[in-house]
Amino acid sequence: MPEVLIADDSEFMRNLLREILEEDHQIVGEVENGVEAVETYKEERPDLVMMDIVMPIRDGIEATDEIKSQDPDANVIMCTSVGQEEKMKEAVKAGADGYITKPFQKPSVMEAIEDVVPS
Amino acid sequence: MKVDIQSLETFNQLAREGAEQATTSMTQMTGIEADVEVTKLSLVDRQDVGEELGDREFVGVQFDYEGELAGETVLVFSRDCRTSLIEALVGGADSKAMARSGVKEIGNIMMSGFIDGWADYLGASIDHSPPSYIEGNGAAVLPDAPAGGDTNHVFVFKSRIEWVDESIEFYIYMLPEYEPLTTVMADHADTGDDAIPVDKLEVFNEMTRSGTEKAAENVTMMTGIETVAEVSQISFAPITDVPKQISNETYVGTVIEFTGVPSGYLMVLFDEVSAKNVAEAMMPVDMGDDELTDQHKSAIEELGNIMTSGFVDGWANVLQTSVDHTPPRLVHDMGQAIIDPLAAQVGRHQEHAFIIDSTMRTDDIEFEAEIHALPNEQELRQALDDLLVERAGKTDADPEQIFQE
Repeated sequence: MPEVLIADDSEFMRNLLREILEEDHQIVGEVENGVEAVETYKEERPDLVMMDIVMPIRDGIEATDEIKSQDPDANVIMCTSVGQEEKMKEAVKAGADGYITKPFQKPSVMEAIEDVVPS
Repeated sequence: MKVDIQSLETFNQLAREGAEQATTSMTQMTGIEADVEVTKLSLVDRQDVGEELGDREFVGVQFDYEGELAGETVLVFSRDCRTSLIEALVGGADSKAMARSGVKEIGNIMMSGFIDGWADYLGASIDHSPPSYIEGNGAAVLPDAPAGGDTNHVFVFKSRIEWVDESIEFYIYMLPEYEPLTTVMADHADTGDDAIPVDKLEVFNEMTRSGTEKAAENVTMMTGIETVAEVSQISFAPITDVPKQISNETYVGTVIEFTGVPSGYLMVLFDEVSAKNVAEAMMPVDMGDDELTDQHKSAIEELGNIMTSGFVDGWANVLQTSVDHTPPRLVHDMGQAIIDPLAAQVGRHQEHAFIIDSTMRTDDIEFEAEIHALPNEQELRQALDDLLVERAGKTDADPEQIFQE
C-alpha cells in the first residue's frame, strides 16, 4: 500500500483524511505544522504527502519547497481551504504535484492521488 | 463619482448627532433616559434593508423629505415599548387613536431634530412631510428603499437607541435617494488620496455577497445542510461603535488575522446551539452530549477555516493578489468580548472602520452564522483603488488549469 504523510493543523481534517485514505493507504504520520512535515518526511520518505497550506510555525508551501529541494521525486498534494489563484501559482512554484480544495469528498481526493501516484 | 473617507466620517457624525438630538427630545418629553448605541452608514443591497429587525413587531413614524437630499426616514420601536412610551408621555392612552397620536408626536419631534441637523450642515433646506404612523413586522415596517438608477445598492444611515436599564431598542433609518446622496457626497469629497469611487464600493459589496455564498456552499458541502447567504453589507462606523455591531449573546467561532492588501481580522461566529448543530452534522457519529466537546470545537475550527477561505479567496482572485491568513483561533465568549480586542487593534491606526458583515441561515435545523471582517481602512482604500471593476466576477480560481499551465 502507498505510504502517506498527512500534514494539517486541524485534528478534524486529519481524522477525515485518515478515514478516507486508510483503506487503501498506509498512514505513516500525522503532523500539525510545516516543520514537523519536513522532519517526518525525512524520516519516513512516504510515497505521498497530503499538505495543508495554512499551518502554524511553517506553512505548507514553504514545507513543500523544502521537501522538494531535498527530494525532487517527492509527491506532494496541497490539500487546503485556500482557493486563491496566486497561492495556487506559489504551490506550483514550490513543486506541488496536485491541489485539492476543502471541503472535499472522497472521490475528488482519490482522483487527485491517482493523478500523482497512479496505482 | 467618488466619496472620501473624511466625508463618510462627517456624514456618519451627522447621523449620530441627529440621533442624539432625537434621543434628547424624547428624554425631555417622556423622562425616559436613552442612549444612542450605534450609528453607521451602510451600503446594502436593496433587498437586505432592515434584515436586523428580524420578525419582531414594530410601530413608528415615517417622513418623506426632499431638497438637497431626498428620500424617506423612519423611526421605529417595538410594539411592546409603545405602551410605556405613551404612558410616559401622556400618562396612559385610553384608545388606539390616542396611542397612535402619541407615537406620531414623539416621532415628529424626534425626527425633526434629526433632519434639521442635515439641512444645517448642507446649508440648504430640507422639507419634510407630516409624520405617517407605520406598523408592521421586521423589515416590512420600513418603506421600500428609494430607487437609484441602475444600482441595486442603497446607502442607509442606521442608529440604534437603547433605553437605559431596559432591553428596549429604537431604530432610526434614513433612506436617501441614491443619486442626490452620492452627488452631495461627491460635492463634499476632496480630491486627495482618500477618495473612493462609489461604484467600486458597490463591487466590493457584491464580492462580499459572492464570498458569503461560497462560504454557505462550503457549509452545505461539509454538513449536508442546505445553507443560504442572507445579508451582506459594508458599513462605516467610528471605532468606538464597532464592538456594538455584534450582539452580546455567547458565540462559538473562529478569529483569523489576514495579511496582504487589505489586512485585518475576520470572525466566523455561531450561536452555541448553531455551533453544536453544525459540528454534529459534520461528524459521522452522534455526540450525544449537551456541552461542546473538543471534537465539536475541532469541527468548528475547521469549518471556520474553510468558511474564511471561501470568503477572502474571492477578494484575492478579483484583486489578483494573495491574502494570507493565520490558522483559525477558536473563540467561545460573548460577542463584544470577542470583537473588542480586534477593534482596539484596528483602532491603533484609524478612528473609523469599515465593517463587512454577512449572515447565513438554513431552514433545516437551528443554524445561523455571522461573518464579520474588519479590514485596515487605508489598505481597503488601496485595494479598492486597484480593483478593476471588469474583474468583479472572477472570484474563483481553477487549480487544474493552473497546474496544467
